[in-house]
Amino acid sequence: MSKLSKIQTFLVLFASIAFHSAFAVEEGDAAPDFTLPSIQEGQADFTLSAMKGKTVYIDFWASWCAPCLKSLPLYNELYHKYKDQGLEMVAISVDNPIEDGLDFLLDTPLDFILPADPEGDIPELYGVFGMPTSYLIGPDGTVRMVHIGFRDGDIEMVEEAIKSVLSGG
Amino acid sequence: MHKLHLFVFFLISVCMLSACTQVRSWERGYLAKKEMAWDPDSLEGALNDHIFFSKEASSGGNSTAGGGCGCN
Repeated sequence: MSKLSKIQTFLVLFASIAFHSAFAVEEGDAAPDFTLPSIQEGQADFTLSAMKGKTVYIDFWASWCAPCLKSLPLYNELYHKYKDQGLEMVAISVDNPIEDGLDFLLDTPLDFILPADPEGDIPELYGVFGMPTSYLIGPDGTVRMVHIGFRDGDIEMVEEAIKSVLSGG
Repeated sequence: MHKLHLFVFFLISVCMLSACTQVRSWERGYLAKKEMAWDPDSLEGALNDHIFFSKEASSGGNSTAGGGCGCN
């Protein structure tokens, strides 16, 4: 094979593969750092690296996603149960416009950190595949669990994972 | 082989210039709206299906997956 045809073969392969990169944050990866404004005006921005040393549960949700709405009150209960043990719950709203997410919160107040990402930069960064997707991040900043979707019975599994990480597992 | 490689490279490049795009799961808010469903009114949809079945002596073929939150 001549040098020119080898280069051409490489270019062909490169063109077909390079533009279809599907990077997704997986268990064991370091959680990419980010900063997002709060969904509520006047509240402080949220930065993930500021949570180092705490167990953080990040959930991507939207007001138009039925399983997300089902999971959020359950996460609120879980937050109250484990916050004294060092759990931080972060529910990132990807609603665009943001008002859709705010309307939901009027009916269902939540007590944890609520950033907003209407442009979808952070789901893109994390390679979110379905809605909702949640990431359990340990105190060392590595992702311990990635959970896609939310069905009946999932909350028990999430609670077990949180308990395991909080106890140093 | 030279021409074949060029042709394949050209073909792939043209395919990438197409207007098809992938709707990400967090961008599906509009697709989840009631007015984007095939049958926003399920009762009316059931009535239409029944009329169709009566007239055509066949049914089905009028639904598809898609939209929603992409979680399934």
